[in-house]
This record gives sequence, structure tokens and C-alpha cells, in this order.
Amino acid sequence: MISRALSIKSSITEFISSKQLLILFLLCILTFVSVFIAIGTGSYDLSIVNFILGKNTGLQNIVLLEIRVPRVILSAIVGASLGIAGAALQGLFRNPLADPGLIGVSAGAALGATTIIVIGANFFPNLYLGSFLLPVAAISGACFVIFMLYVLTKGFGYQGVTYMLLVGIAVNAIAGVGIGILTYISSDAELRSLTFWTMGSFGGVTWPLLIPAIIIITISLIFLIPNARKLDLLQLGEPEAYRLGIDVQRVKLSIIFTSASAVGASVALSGMIGFVGLVVPHLVRLIGGVNHKYLLPGSALMGACLMITADLFSRVLLQPAEIPVGLITSAIGSPFFLWLIFRMKRL
Amino acid sequence: MKHTLLIFISFFLQQNSFANDCTPANDASRVTVAGGSITEIMYMIDAEDSIIAVDLTSNFPERARSHPQIGYVRALSAEGILSLDPTIIIGEDDMGPPAVLEQINRTGVEIAIIPERHNIAGIKSKVECIAEILNKKTEARELFNTRLDPAIEKLNIASGEVSENQTKAIFILGLQSGSPLIGGVGTSANGLIEMIGAKNVLSSFEGWKPVSTESILLAEPDLILISDRGLSAFGDVESLRQHPALALTPAAKNNNIIAMDGMAMLGFGPRTIFSALSIANDILEINDK
Amino acid sequence: MSLNIKSVSLKLDDRQILKDVSLEINEGEIVSVIGPNGAGKSTLLNVLTGDISPDSGDTIYDNKPLNKISIQERAFTRSVMSQMQTLVFDFNVKDVIEMGWLQRGNSDFSSNFSLAFEAVTKECNVHNLVHRKFNSLSGGEQRRVHFARTLLQLWRPSKSNDPSYLLLDEPTANLDLSSEMLLMNILKARASSNVGILVILHDLNLASHFADKIAIMKDGEIKAFGKPEEIMKDDFLTSIYKVPIEVKHEPLRVHYY
Repeated sequence: MISRALSIKSSITEFISSKQLLILFLLCILTFVSVFIAIGTGSYDLSIVNFILGKNTGLQNIVLLEIRVPRVILSAIVGASLGIAGAALQGLFRNPLADPGLIGVSAGAALGATTIIVIGANFFPNLYLGSFLLPVAAISGACFVIFMLYVLTKGFGYQGVTYMLLVGIAVNAIAGVGIGILTYISSDAELRSLTFWTMGSFGGVTWPLLIPAIIIITISLIFLIPNARKLDLLQLGEPEAYRLGIDVQRVKLSIIFTSASAVGASVALSGMIGFVGLVVPHLVRLIGGVNHKYLLPGSALMGACLMITADLFSRVLLQPAEIPVGLITSAIGSPFFLWLIFRMKRL
Repeated sequence: MKHTLLIFISFFLQQNSFANDCTPANDASRVTVAGGSITEIMYMIDAEDSIIAVDLTSNFPERARSHPQIGYVRALSAEGILSLDPTIIIGEDDMGPPAVLEQINRTGVEIAIIPERHNIAGIKSKVECIAEILNKKTEARELFNTRLDPAIEKLNIASGEVSENQTKAIFILGLQSGSPLIGGVGTSANGLIEMIGAKNVLSSFEGWKPVSTESILLAEPDLILISDRGLSAFGDVESLRQHPALALTPAAKNNNIIAMDGMAMLGFGPRTIFSALSIANDILEINDK
Repeated sequence: MSLNIKSVSLKLDDRQILKDVSLEINEGEIVSVIGPNGAGKSTLLNVLTGDISPDSGDTIYDNKPLNKISIQERAFTRSVMSQMQTLVFDFNVKDVIEMGWLQRGNSDFSSNFSLAFEAVTKECNVHNLVHRKFNSLSGGEQRRVHFARTLLQLWRPSKSNDPSYLLLDEPTANLDLSSEMLLMNILKARASSNVGILVILHDLNLASHFADKIAIMKDGEIKAFGKPEEIMKDDFLTSIYKVPIEVKHEPLRVHYY
């Protein structure tokens, strides 16, 4: 009994320092606080306190429970997905500039979604796409891109940071061509849905849409986190990781598939939101260190906080209108990206 | 098996449930408008006092811009709109995203979608539809009698004359990837050109598309219609005339370029009728010389 | 118990890299592989570790063919030190050494980590580097840290009889004299604790002084294998290296300039 408790304790505290555990705990608290503040803030006049005391009107409750809460939850899980996927991809490719957007995974997901929207509109006009079809299409698109990356890097072989980035640019361009062609042939009716993709937004999310996304993303995260230690060992290089007992091909496939699923589901629901996967892991490393047992959960939590905050700004800065959230993350992310490049000692 | 498959597929698809009809609103006291032509009409039928918010395209009349702004009609914010406490949202079928409209509708706010057709009959029914919804039928009658019907009559005559001359026209919305973005079949621009009595010579495609220099030259347009904003993408009329894609067209060479406010031309509210009349008259003047 | 390859041949890009090579490394023995560049020494090591599969022949760990041993099991049995890649992220030295600590899900091991860590870092003379960032170390210091990691991977509780093997590819490159001696002496000490060791060296004197057996490779074949005093001969070495070599005995010294 005691030895089992000890072994659970050691598997939690192994390979992670107490400072890092503290940071994770604080990030949890920060996430809860952000969720609370975000649910309580917006253009519509309502308060959570009144909700608890039962003093809200029916309409206020509807706005709170059907509009605001699903939206805040979506922004949190999308932020968490992008953050942790970014951390996992940076570790997998041993490339500090990897980000689902930069390496084309988000574009692939958008390509999948765009294809369904345009083809769907041609076969089923006037219909609004339901809960599962869009995320599935987006995830397939993301996997297709990852497959292309695999082929172009000869099985994800390490070829240097710049090569990886160039390959990502190429893949982005290819996916962009696909999206461009679909956009071109689509009628104005379809463009209505498509314009949404380029900028990203959490508006319009409802519980029926959210539940499958929560399931997909949670499952992905559950599969991703046990790879933490293996990601550490991969940093020594693939031959070394093998010699330390890691089945490298299996780890690659697992990480790639779960990252693609998480990113695909996120893009399906909220469009392309850039730079979160790039910025968040670096911030988390700056605060507490680089080992993945800390980095992966840390990136999920920090990603959630950042996204909840970005969405809050998008709703509030120009109320009652909204700024697309992708604009806000790009506005902060691009200068940070530049700083990262300058900071790197060798490219 | 087929039955099961259909049920399975229907899980993935949902019908957009707002009807395009013009029944009177239950409560039209607080209106949020999503469409510049609708705002225009509401001011013209004396319904402006019920407006509580407008969208980005509602730029006429000038004082309409002072209302709270709901932003881009295709990217609406549920909470934002609800925070202004509307009783009804009136817009066209480009309102979206659909999920947001669902959310708003579920809170009890009415949503009216005004059908749009790009011709004179379409404009008239738009006015009638809005008047019906807002219970302003008398005011609408007044508008028809004093301003619209006379203008339509003059337009019919003028466009008849224009079509005898078989004027070749194109409509440019702006620049996209370096090429002029031109209105093909099914666009509001196409409707406008037809209303004027001219011929849209770049109508072999649907929707708004960037068109190559060669295709533009082959079409030999006598007249270029362009929105003010589109013109600013080129710079000014001189730069437009000298643009490589357009410089060799008869329209550019003869300086037959007409630029106006985009919503006035393409909004397909009453202003479109007045704009069409004005353009038709301009063409006849040019041809008379 | 021993590590074996039997009749291994391997072709890469139309070149025959290994031709029917066999080698045995026994527990408690240091085998040094020497030979000119391109002889196939590193490839031989990679076949032994399981990094590469040969076209024909077998790799056998303690009487079990390698393909019957899981990747994880292999890591429990042997550890490897070879060319190092740069670390993209800023790990601490402690983190890097700790990467050699395999998770066996066995409390016999996990409770001993700090003990093992202390012991290995002191032995390799890196314990004063432990709190520094790995990327800030010099090339030689980084090598010593990797060596410590490799030793940590082989750590066993004192009562254990499980066989362990250590394979090293030019571990002394870039090391200063004292570090070089330290490393070779640690190998000697490990051998007497029954670890089987294969080490590729370029320095013929280092090899003949520390190894129990030497394998001389050239053109993908093992041209000679045996105790240093027996196989290090003037004419033979000269023909292998194409450089005039003179071997003196008592003590055994190879002269080539």
C-alpha cells in the first residue's frame, strides 16, 4: 500500500523539479482565475454572482450558459491544444521554431475543412455543417500535411533548423494553393463560411459543437502527456534515444497523430489561430526550464490562459463588434517570433 | 440500410432555419440592422428611430454612422448584439455565422432575412418587405409615389436607349493579386449593368473574380464602372487609366470611367435606382457627343 | 555471458562495408577495435548495438538473438557512447546525465537514484559541473558528461548479476590527457566488475595498454583478433596502416614516428 503510494509519488515527481511543480500549480490557479474572469466579462451585462444567487433574468442566464461559457471553454481547450501541440512538435523535430502554423499543420486542417465546406455546399446547399463532419475533415487535412512533412524530411530525420522551417514554408504554400483553388471556384455563398477560417474566432460555438471537440482534444492530450520523458530522451538524437530504449518510430507516429488530432479539432471549431504553439512553449521554458514533464502540461495551461485572455480582448476591445482572435495572437506573436530568431545562436 | 444511412448523414447536416419572409414583426421597437441598403430604406420610410445598431456597410445617410457598430455582417458577435437589447435583427442572407444567428434566435430575438434580387423588381420588393415587417406601409407608399416610381420610369426610358447603343460595360471592385476584381454573372454588379441597359462583357464566369489583361482587352469595354473604394486601390482615375490591364481598353482611352460610392451602386436599395439612372444619363450624354 | 556477432555482412550504397565479420565480447573483458578510416569499425559497433540490421548474419546478446529482445530490454543490457548531436534546448548537465537513468518500474532501482548519481558523477569528475547548462560546457566536458550518462545507464544494485555491456566509439576524442586516462581507467575498473566492453580507438598505444583483446579491421574484415602482445607485429601493422610501424615489447609500445 505504502510502496504503491510511493511509486505513484515518484512517477509524478521524477524528472521534474519542485520549482517546476510549483509553477504548474500556479498555472492551474491562473487558468481557473482566467476562466472565472472571462465568464464574468463581456458586452452583455450580467454577473456570475447574480447567477449563483439566482438573481439573473432568464435571458441573462441563457447568454451566460449558452453563449459565454461554451465560448470560454472552447478558447481554453483550443489554447491548451495549440500550446501542447507546439511544445510536442518542437521537441519532436528538435526545432525551437516549430509551430503547428509554421509547419503547415493548421493550413492542412483548414484545407480539409475548406474542402468539406465547398464540396458540402455544392451537394447540400443551405445546410449548416454539423458537429462531427468538420472536425473529422480538419483532422484528416492535418494528418495529410504531416504525412507530406514526413516524406519531405525523409521520415522526420533531423536535418537542421532552417531546413525544417523551409519545408514548413513549402508545405504551407502547397496547402495554401489547395485552399486558394477551393476559394476561387467557390461561390460567394461558400465564401461566407471560408472567410471565417483565415482569421480565427470563437464566436458561435454551442454545446453540441463543443462536446465532440472536448472529447477529441482531451483524448489527444491524454495520449500526448505520457510521451514527456521520451521527448526528453529524443533531444539527444534519434540513435541515442533508441539506445536508451525508445521505440523512436512509434513515438514519432504517436506524437504526430495526437498533435494533428488536437490541432485539427481546434482549427475545425475556431479557424486558424497562429503563433500560440510557437510562443507558449518558449514562455514556459523561460519561466521554469526545458524538461518535457513540466513543459507539456505547462504549455497546455499557459496556452489556455493566453487564449482565454486573447478571446476576452477580442470581445471587449471594439464592443459590440469583435476583433478576430487570430489578429490578436498574430499581433503579439510575430514580434516574439522575430525576437526568437535573433536570439538563436545558430540557425 | 439506405434509411439508416440517411439518418446517419442527417446527424452531420442541419437545416438553416430562418425563413425568408416578410411577415410583420412582433416587436419592431428596437432594430439592429445588418445591411447598408436596409438602413437606407429605413431612413427613407421614416423608421429610423427604431434603429439601435448598424453594420459596417450602413454608411448612408451620414447620420446612420453614429449608431453603435456591430461590425462585419458575416462575422457577428452573439453577445455583442444581445448586449444592445434588440427586439429584431433585420439583414440579408449573408448574415452569419449561422451558429451565431441560432444563438441569438434562441434567446427570443426575431431574425428577419430580406431576400435580395439584383433588379428593379427586387429593389421594390425589398422596400415593401421591410415596410411590411416594420408596419410602415403608408410611408413606403409615399416613397414609391414621390421618389421611386418616377425614377424607375425615367430609368426604364434611359436604359432602353442605352441598350439600343449596346454599350459594353464592366464593373471593377478593386484589385486582387494584381488583377482587377470584376463582377460576373450573379453579382450585384451584373444586376446594375443590366439595369442601366448596358451589356456586361465579362460575364462568362460566376461571382467576383480577378480577370487577366487579355480577357479584359478581348472584351473591349466602352465603360468602366468602379466603386470609390475600388478606385482608391488604383490610386486615382489617371492611374486607373494607365494601369496595364486597362490602358488599352476603349473605356480608358476615352476616359469613360464612372466611380461612385459602392453601396450606392451595389446595395440594391433605392439608391441603386438613382445611381443607375444617373449612370444611364451619363452614358447617353457621352454617346450624344 | 557474451555479446556476439556471427558472420555479419552489410552492403550500403553498393559498397560492401562488412564482409562476413564475427566477434565476441565476453563479460569482464575489454575488446578494442582498431584500424584505418573506412575499415567499417563504426558500422560494426552499430550492428552490435542494433542500430543497423545486417544483410546476413546474427547479433546475439547472451545467447538470445537480438531481434527477440525488445528495444527496452536492449537498453537494460547495454549502453553506448558515440558521436554526439548538439542539444537544441538548454538542458542542465544534471538533466543530461539523468537521461541515462532508465525507468524499470522497479523500486529496487528508483530509490537508488541519488546514490547512483552521486557515485557516477564523482567518478567521472563532473559533479562540479552538475548545475551548469550543458550547452555552456567545452567539447571535452560535454564528452565526460555523456560518459557519465552512459555509466549511469549500466548501474546495478550491488547484488545483481545481470550482464552489462558498454560499447564506445572513439570516446577519447577531444579529451585532454588527464580526462583520457580517467576514462580508460574507469573502463578498466568496470571490466573488473564484470562489464563487457567494446571500445573503438585510434590510438594504438592506448589500445594495447588497456585492452584484453584487440580486433584489427581493414576493408570490412577483421584481419586479426587476439591479445595485444600476440597480434601487434611490425610487418602486419605496417601493411594495415601503410605507415612504417615498429613494435617494441616489455613494455609493449607501438612506434610510428
